[in-house]
Amino acid sequence: MKKAILLFTGLTSTHLLQAATAATELEGSFKIGPAIILIAILLTFILVGIYFRAKDTTDYYAAGRGISKVGSGMAIASNWMSAASFLGMAALMYGYGYHGLAYVVGWTGGYVLLLILMAGQIRKYGKYTAADFIGDRYYSRALRALGAVIAILISIAYCVGQFGGIGLMFKWIMGIDYALAVIIGGAVVLTYTLISGMLGVTKNMQIQYVIIIISFLIPLFILTYKFDYFWLIPQIGYGSAVSDIVSGIPLAETQQLYNSLGHHFAIAPSPEYAMPWDTASGQSFFQWIAIAFSLMIGTAGLPHVIQRFYVVPKARDARWSVVWGLFFICILYWSAPAYSAFGKILSANPEVGKLAKDAIVVYTAQLGNVNPLIVGLLAAGGVSAAFSTVSGLLVAGSSAFAHDLYVKSFRPDSSPRRQLLVARIGTVIMAIIVTLLALPQWALIGQLVAIAFSLAGCTIFPLFLLGIWWSGSNRQGAVAGVIVGLLVSAVSLTYSLVGDSLPYYDFVSYWLGAWYFAWIGAPLAIIANIIVSKLTTPTPLEIRKFLIENVHS
Amino acid sequence: MEENRNDYHISFFKPTTPRALANRNMVIWLVSIWVVAIFGFQIALRLLEKPTPEAAYKSFESSWPSVKSNTANQEELKDFAGATLSVLGKVFIDAGDKAVLDNAFNRAVYQILDEGQKEALIPEIKNFEALKAEIKVVTEPDYVKAKKELMTKAAPLLGIPENNVLRDILPLELNTAEMNTVRPETMKQLPGIMEKYLVHNQSVLTNFKFLGFPFHYFYTAVLLLILFVFLCWLYCISADRLNKKFDISD
Repeated sequence: MKKAILLFTGLTSTHLLQAATAATELEGSFKIGPAIILIAILLTFILVGIYFRAKDTTDYYAAGRGISKVGSGMAIASNWMSAASFLGMAALMYGYGYHGLAYVVGWTGGYVLLLILMAGQIRKYGKYTAADFIGDRYYSRALRALGAVIAILISIAYCVGQFGGIGLMFKWIMGIDYALAVIIGGAVVLTYTLISGMLGVTKNMQIQYVIIIISFLIPLFILTYKFDYFWLIPQIGYGSAVSDIVSGIPLAETQQLYNSLGHHFAIAPSPEYAMPWDTASGQSFFQWIAIAFSLMIGTAGLPHVIQRFYVVPKARDARWSVVWGLFFICILYWSAPAYSAFGKILSANPEVGKLAKDAIVVYTAQLGNVNPLIVGLLAAGGVSAAFSTVSGLLVAGSSAFAHDLYVKSFRPDSSPRRQLLVARIGTVIMAIIVTLLALPQWALIGQLVAIAFSLAGCTIFPLFLLGIWWSGSNRQGAVAGVIVGLLVSAVSLTYSLVGDSLPYYDFVSYWLGAWYFAWIGAPLAIIANIIVSKLTTPTPLEIRKFLIENVHS
Repeated sequence: MEENRNDYHISFFKPTTPRALANRNMVIWLVSIWVVAIFGFQIALRLLEKPTPEAAYKSFESSWPSVKSNTANQEELKDFAGATLSVLGKVFIDAGDKAVLDNAFNRAVYQILDEGQKEALIPEIKNFEALKAEIKVVTEPDYVKAKKELMTKAAPLLGIPENNVLRDILPLELNTAEMNTVRPETMKQLPGIMEKYLVHNQSVLTNFKFLGFPFHYFYTAVLLLILFVFLCWLYCISADRLNKKFDISD
């Protein structure tokens, strides 16, 4: 065994050394160094998953409620820092300039809402899943089932973007076709989730956070140093790069610095990169506001995010875990725009060609002549980011499938062993659906994920907001609110999928865009909930007593 | 007995206990700061902004009437070609817009060259086009050499100075197929395209520099995130204090 390990280590070291000296290629060939790093990281995840694997349903759903607030904060951050954050954020700013910052603000600002309006109260309510809360609070098995279905839909929509990111990174590392890369990546993440369950996932998430953030920051320090900006804090240092893009970098100021294709670090004046709602980006002021708002309320309505508050011992821990989680998240979100700025300069020459925006983080490191092994670590970090989120989403989706649909709605007497089996079957079914949906590349990763946020903002967010803060919200009101939220979502998504053959296409696709329809859907759902609740029978006394005595006392 | 809606009633806006009242006030304060910080600043940006043209747009505006009426002199044509090349040098251009710009730029180049220059330069551009179609990687020595030679010959003819980054782009945008004629849609669409890429929303908030950033960019990309973490920290501290004050345990 020792010989085998020594042989593997020897071969690995040789390959890593070869890879380190190999010339950088943007696409195409199999990259041995990055592949070894990726495999090593995935093996670590699986071993940790096996070591901390779920032993019963309480472990599977809520990690035994034994995770500390800092640990939970890291898990929140890892769960949150998906392919959309790691790869998609820089892609959005690279493609749309200042408009991309609406996603940065939306995906961080929502945590303020989540914390001050919900986190502690959700933990005090003491349920396992979002659908559990909805079913109990609104005393309705049908709403629990509907909540579960919505949670599954949100998880699927969210996962599609992640699988796209996994596919892009597997494609880049293995030099294979995108479709095959999605299938292989999907199979690996499914195996990992099935083995570990949520206890393993939570432990893994803490390890994943460390890997994700280190792999993201190391190339950034190197790039900032190469560009001769303030490299000690690249999150501030890249500000000069933004200003340089706006004013342009003349050839004389590039100090003989070249990208990996031999082009100067020079760029023509490009104010459209940083100026607000620039016409060149094709995005307006309204769209900026609508996206930021939709993402923020969507954050407070995502089942897999809400579910993280069930794994801490106390409501106070739930609150503080948000602070830690947001801080850990912000470390990445402060850094992502730097990649887009450097990527903009390094790909300014038309010869670089049209790069896949969602892989711009990796291309930027490549074009910046960062060591191929470090670029490989970066790509593996991207895969880790997608893995950590997908595993959390698959657990949230399978929890909704097994716990809320199967057990609570159909077979309340089923054994824990059977519940676990159903949860795992649910995970497999979801993974297959997501893989199929991820094969055509519909949009940028960040935009695909934004659909899940708008869906959550229109449906789950109003139910939690009113459910916690207004005891007058009753079952009928909740049903009305969900119907309105789903109608708005259906109209937006139908127009987005069918296209301009539908009447008033331009009007609807602008005001109800697929990435931001919650800006109007959520307020309408809340209004419908309030009006119908006021007109119908009050919430039962025991629910109101529970809210006062258990949630708000 | 009929249940009264007001028994055990919870409403965020009508708190019934001192703890709930204190919590409501705290939440209202924090949400107000949050709203003003995010949306208030973007609205301020919107209110203060003015459409500000790049230098290339001013060159385009001054040369366009003559180019359009086919009466442009050499200097006007050079200004016009430089302005269109500035847009072609941007990283992202819509494919349809690029086709229009290619046509306008190459037609202007053709008009700038005298007969002798055409005889010397056009075969060289054609050779480079053929080489470009053949190469597998852009670092092939023959290709790099041909590109540099073409750049050295063409840039002075168009008045592009040594230090200008557009020199690097120039050989890649020269296209003999676009030189012979200007399409009607080019004449129609070009002013709108130039405005789209060369006029930007700028104000004191975008022009002022802070830590190297344009201020508005720093505010949105860095400062707002710091504020979010601070608001969360402040809420947790305040909630802990409130719980202690009212002797509430989690």
